[in-house]
Amino acid sequence: MRTVLRASLRTHTRRYVSAALAVVIGVTFIVVTSLLSSAARAGLVAGVEQQYRGADVVITEVDARDAARIVADATDTGDAAAVIGWTPQQVRVDGRLFDPRAGVGGIAEDPGLRWQELREGRFPEQPGEVVADRNAVKGKDVHVGDTVEVGTLEGTVVGLVDTPSASAGADFYLLWDDLRAVDEDLWVDSVAYAGPGSASLDLPRGATVQPRDEFVEELQAELTNEVNVLAILLLVFASIALFVSALVIANTFSILFAQRARDFALLRCVGATRRQVLRSVRVEALALGAAASLLGLAFGTALGYLLVALATSALPSGSMGVPTPSPRWYAGAFVTGLLVTLVAAWLPTRRVVRVGPLAALRPDDSTSVHTGAGRLRVLAGLATVLLGAVLLALSIQGNSPGLMVLGGAAAFTGVLLLGPVIVPALIRVAGGLGGRVAGAPARLAAENAVRNPRRTAATTASLLVGVTLTTAVLVALASSRSAVDRDLDRDHPIDVALTATDEPLPSDLLDRVRAVPGVGTAVALDGVSARVEGAGELPAVTPGEVGAVVHGSPAIATPGPREIWLPSDDVSRSRVTVQVGERSVELRVSSGESWGDAAIVAPETLAALTDATQPWAVWVRADDADPEDLAGDLDALAQPAGANLTNGLRERSWVTLQLDILTGTVVALLGIAVVIALIGIGNTLGLSVLERRREHALLRALGLTRRQLRATLAAEAVLLSVVATVLGSVIGVTFAWVSLQALVEAAVDQAPLVLPWGQLVLVVLVAGVAGLLSSLLPARRAARTTPATGLSLD
Amino acid sequence: MTNSPLAASTRGLTRVYGQGDTAVHALRGIDLDLPAGRFTAIMGRSGSGKSTLMHCLAGLDSPTAGSVSVAGRALESMDDNALTIFRREHLGFVFQSFNLLPMLTAGQNILLPLELAGRRVDAAARARYDLVVGVLGIGDRLGHRPGELSGGQQQRVAIARALVSEPDIVFADEPTGNLDSEAAAEVLGFLRRSVRELGSTVVMVTHEDSAAAYADDVVVIADGLVA
Repeated sequence: MRTVLRASLRTHTRRYVSAALAVVIGVTFIVVTSLLSSAARAGLVAGVEQQYRGADVVITEVDARDAARIVADATDTGDAAAVIGWTPQQVRVDGRLFDPRAGVGGIAEDPGLRWQELREGRFPEQPGEVVADRNAVKGKDVHVGDTVEVGTLEGTVVGLVDTPSASAGADFYLLWDDLRAVDEDLWVDSVAYAGPGSASLDLPRGATVQPRDEFVEELQAELTNEVNVLAILLLVFASIALFVSALVIANTFSILFAQRARDFALLRCVGATRRQVLRSVRVEALALGAAASLLGLAFGTALGYLLVALATSALPSGSMGVPTPSPRWYAGAFVTGLLVTLVAAWLPTRRVVRVGPLAALRPDDSTSVHTGAGRLRVLAGLATVLLGAVLLALSIQGNSPGLMVLGGAAAFTGVLLLGPVIVPALIRVAGGLGGRVAGAPARLAAENAVRNPRRTAATTASLLVGVTLTTAVLVALASSRSAVDRDLDRDHPIDVALTATDEPLPSDLLDRVRAVPGVGTAVALDGVSARVEGAGELPAVTPGEVGAVVHGSPAIATPGPREIWLPSDDVSRSRVTVQVGERSVELRVSSGESWGDAAIVAPETLAALTDATQPWAVWVRADDADPEDLAGDLDALAQPAGANLTNGLRERSWVTLQLDILTGTVVALLGIAVVIALIGIGNTLGLSVLERRREHALLRALGLTRRQLRATLAAEAVLLSVVATVLGSVIGVTFAWVSLQALVEAAVDQAPLVLPWGQLVLVVLVAGVAGLLSSLLPARRAARTTPATGLSLD
Repeated sequence: MTNSPLAASTRGLTRVYGQGDTAVHALRGIDLDLPAGRFTAIMGRSGSGKSTLMHCLAGLDSPTAGSVSVAGRALESMDDNALTIFRREHLGFVFQSFNLLPMLTAGQNILLPLELAGRRVDAAARARYDLVVGVLGIGDRLGHRPGELSGGQQQRVAIARALVSEPDIVFADEPTGNLDSEAAAEVLGFLRRSVRELGSTVVMVTHEDSAAAYADDVVVIADGLVA
């Protein structure tokens, strides 16, 4: 049998290419995941100890007040302490707005605790001296010697630094006293402490002190853990890709073995036992799996290093380290590839030995083999779909994610089982429509596509998996986006608010604001400077015609007659007295923080307080603008008028961007599974072309032009991929609806199903085009056969 | 369709497969005239070049040298696309085996050439279809797929398909090779009837004397030349 095995490997290698490719991609996915996560881990962990390099102990669980006391104590005793903390601040450089919320961190006075690496200029020594992160200000026209305003602090840029750690990086670094002056309550991560005093620290309750090494180790473990969670998420997608690969491989083997049934029968005729034949084909599968997995390891390694190199050049320094190939991951990836191949080949190889020796003597009828769905299969399929539906209904009722996953899996398995019935029926419908437009090739294609229902179903199943998951994710994200939008409308009803501080706004400011590009609508709010009990002097404004400016219908747009809206920071009581000159009113307090530093009252309240109102605020609705550009332009107007900017648009676009990134990432990761499935379609088509050579020759003899023959195959591929995509979209939308009902509905009161039609249509179009592409090679090969050579085959 | 009394002719027709030492000279310069409206048999033993001759005559294979003219048209001047369209408009084929597409019914197979040409099945075509189907006696088999037909029935469907588009020549390549003698006699009888009753021109390649006996003319090929 060894001769036979070797000969058959030699002869059939080309036919295995696609199946091998599916395994290669799956294994590559795993290896890339391992390399990327190892590099990310190295990058995250690498810089971490830098911040604590000179420290003896590290103090955590302290707030800014505690940190200040520790630093003061250390200075008294001659020790050194550096606070690792962070505060978002509005930063201007040379009078230009650099960033309304730049990250500002601390830099130690003690050189031993300073972890930033100087690149230009010098480190700060005096109050008011600031260093900037070289990468953060790259290309933004920030130089040593520039004046800089960080929040309330005015200073000078004295140096540019590099930040070795991705986890502690900030855009600007201030000395501790400056930092504390800018933000009394800044967020404190930890305090690095060096000196003999570390043994006898006087610490507030709840604070933790750890020797430096112990602390760094714990921190590294924590960061590693975070990366591992990401790696596991990636592996979920890798296993989806591998599952699809398994479907493709199983289908390839089924088709190949069907084509070779006569060879096997002949072997049996000349004396090979069942066992020998079985072993021979299983070794074939083993060889394929091993070769493809090895290739996957090689490709994965190359691609992983390439991606890390790309990421290193594109991201700030230090975020990616050197990837370390881990023997365990490599072994795991190899074994997984091998196992997937073997498992996928198991059923098809079993079918091989059912071929009796007599089959060799019958005429070759491999093209007229008509595999249908047995009654048992249909019954099982219906039962599973029903079970899945019941489970899904229960999951909606009980808001149970476990039942939902089970039900989804059952329903999907049922659909796969029913595939040989459903898919050909859909293809007939689609082919009938196409036949009216595209004529004979489309009609032939439809006939070809359905002649072997089980093969058709198996081919489309792989694509069905990818498309179902993709559309489910797209729909679920689009629907949760509507819920998120509601939250955003509530929390950030105003895109940008300009609020006056000491004096009313100039009367022409509104017109100038309206002229800023990106401003959709803007209205001025009338008000008066009022003395609010417990909050001091504050502009009290009343919203007029703000309906076109605010998102949704927030409560602040229509304050009640005895109500006052105050910034959350200023609220300490439930009723306050508001005074303007001699007049005063007592009002009930509501609080929020989406409109800036002002009080909002009803028009009648304002009228009761003063007769002379002036514009004290301008609210802006952006018109599809870049939040940073808009903020910069508006700030240039607000600054000379003494007004402050409140940027709700920034948060809104940040959240939207996160959702976009999430959608993009998930779709890209699922895209790998879809690519494998499309390779599978090309593969089935290629193998079908091999077994239909005589038919194609006959058709060519009878007058089918080369172009028509190519069109026939292209139409078949497009029919397969579009039908799978449409079916997958329907199932995906259903799953998304169920998950909204079962999960999201439980969290928020309403989660309407939102269909992203554009994206869904795009998915179908992409699948159609990809199907077309997958038919290119098989169609070329088929068209190359001349009628005469095709007919002389036997 | 053509006024020429000749359905096809060749001059110096040469076909060489491969190159150098391994070259096989299948045809070595054949001059042949095939009259229209007759049943011609091309005979020869295996490897004599008779099938190659037929493939070249039918535009399925392109000659190495020499000229072929069919229905008044010179084939060597046509590219693949033109040849294909020429075939479906002017020629009909019956092969030894594998004549029919397995996924189409007999009726669909017969109408396939019309469909490939994008022609509507109008009244005239329908009348021709009914006539051909009637002559071949397969009216009750039209809804069956090839797998459900006997070998003789399959060949009759193939002949019907070859005749339905009223071709200038029908080429038959060993049409009885896979049939028992009774079914073979039937099929050959139908080919002869199609010449007599429908005015077709049939060129048949065969190695069997009994089959050649049905023909009006017999051309014998040996070693790539007309014997």
